[in-house]
Amino acid sequence: MVRFENVGMRYGPGPEVLRDVTFVLEAGSFTFLTGPSGAGKTTLLKLMLLAEPPSRGLITLFGHDLATARRGAFPALRRRIGVVFQDFRLLDHLSAFENVALPLRLAGRREEDYRQDVEELLTWVGLGDRMAAPPPTLSGGEQQRVAIARAVVARPDLLLADEPTGNVDSEIGQRLIRLFSELNRLGTTVLIATHDRSLIEKSRAKEMRLVDGRLVELRAQRP
Amino acid sequence: MTARRPAHIMPREKGTTPLDLVIAVMAFLAALALGASLVANRTADSWRAGLAGRISVQVLPPDKGPPEPALSRETAAALAILQNTDGIVHAAPLSQGEILKLVEPWLGQSALVADLPLPRMIDATIMPGVRVDIPALARKLKAAAPDSVLDDHSHWIARLRGLADTVIWSAYAILALIAVATAAIVAFATRASLEAHHEIVALLHQMGAHARFIASAFDRHYLLATLGAAAAGAGLAAALFLIAGSLEYAGVQPVSFLPPLTLHALEIPWLAAVPLGAGAIAWVTARLSVLAALREIY
Ligand SMILES: Nc1ncnc2c1ncn2[C@@H]1O[C@H](COP(=O)(O)OP(=O)(O)OP(=O)(O)O)[C@@H](O)[C@H]1O
Ligand SMILES: [Mg+2]
Repeated sequence: MVRFENVGMRYGPGPEVLRDVTFVLEAGSFTFLTGPSGAGKTTLLKLMLLAEPPSRGLITLFGHDLATARRGAFPALRRRIGVVFQDFRLLDHLSAFENVALPLRLAGRREEDYRQDVEELLTWVGLGDRMAAPPPTLSGGEQQRVAIARAVVARPDLLLADEPTGNVDSEIGQRLIRLFSELNRLGTTVLIATHDRSLIEKSRAKEMRLVDGRLVELRAQRP
Repeated sequence: MTARRPAHIMPREKGTTPLDLVIAVMAFLAALALGASLVANRTADSWRAGLAGRISVQVLPPDKGPPEPALSRETAAALAILQNTDGIVHAAPLSQGEILKLVEPWLGQSALVADLPLPRMIDATIMPGVRVDIPALARKLKAAAPDSVLDDHSHWIARLRGLADTVIWSAYAILALIAVATAAIVAFATRASLEAHHEIVALLHQMGAHARFIASAFDRHYLLATLGAAAAGAGLAAALFLIAGSLEYAGVQPVSFLPPLTLHALEIPWLAAVPLGAGAIAWVTARLSVLAALREIY
């Protein structure tokens, strides 16, 4: 599903933020990405979701070598990825409902088709009564749940979540992780970047650890 | 609860923006230029229609001898030739009174004039669609009436056509300049708008929206905004043309020797080309600007 080989990344003329990163995300796997602040977790996710090109190394996504893939193929690849950004990136002029529906609109679906799905999902994340609210009127945790709903609504092949539980209490955090597990059970490959040790300890998922731009420790999926 | 129609992906700007104002002013000027070209074209046509097909023969007093007998003899000879020329449907000498009226602006109304030997004039009309060999006719007239001068007004027609062409091509040049300026300001506005909505554009791009999809969110906005603003500007110009027309109808004509700057009812719809053209320019410019900007993102 995702393969990195000796990937290096630097922003402009700056120092290398990622160095010789090599790993594989198997289709259908569930993985945590951990590491101290500034280790390069968000950068690694950016490479995976085609937000930035790597400075060196090889990235293969859904079987496409990104270095040789046509740029015209990128939008279709991006639509197969659901993303929860660390800073949410919701559109302030749209309602919570419309934010969540955005990936479906981009997939060319009509509102009559998806209205019910979107409403059910928003209810599931506890925002059934806030659907018409624009993001600026929502709390940080509520915005985060809108962002998560938007990432999962189109049943992506790959789900990338950057600190998805950073702003919610542990009960809602567990509930959101269950949402990701559910999605994973339905076939989505999931990668979650987080600092939250308790989340990881409760789970048997695989863990990848980044320190100073290097992948230093791999914990295999526990039985 | 939520809007029935999906909301616009780009936030709408409310009310009249500076761009709308600039476009409206541009459209107003463009409509004036276009209207002027229409008036010039029509006026040149009508002058030509009025002059073409008319010829006149002037019989001048002879240098020597008593003028009256010579004038009468030559006028009769010239008239006979004109009346026997194929294609000339009407030829008649102007009366003394009509000639006096023609020279009055130059010589005044004094009794002196009555004693001066005045040239004679013959007015003739060529049947529409018939070509008369003017040089041959002039030679024949010269032979029969040595003091006659044939004028087919072609000199004036050419001058007027040249004047009208100058006006028309100037109007086209102005229209072209306005089109270029409109494209430039729309490109500028699109760039600014892309900048202002950078986060939205980046997010849509990140979520896998095609460049065409993002571009259409912008180009549709500029198409509609420009259509509206340009229609207002061109509409104002149309109203001015109509007012000028009704003033002229009421007998007010500020500059009498110029053709009236009024459009006929059937010419007014041509001004609709201004908003349509402006809309097309805005649409293409906005689209190309957005596509160019998106090509720079990974
Ligand atoms: N756009 C950028 N331009 C330049 N440097 C950047 C940029 N984004 C990140 N960096 C740098 O890259 C390094 C890794 O940043 P990154 O955001 O990937 O870390 P992170 O592991 O996600 O941290 P956190 O846990 O705090 O979110 C940091 O040193 C950061 O300063
Ligand atoms: Mg980060």
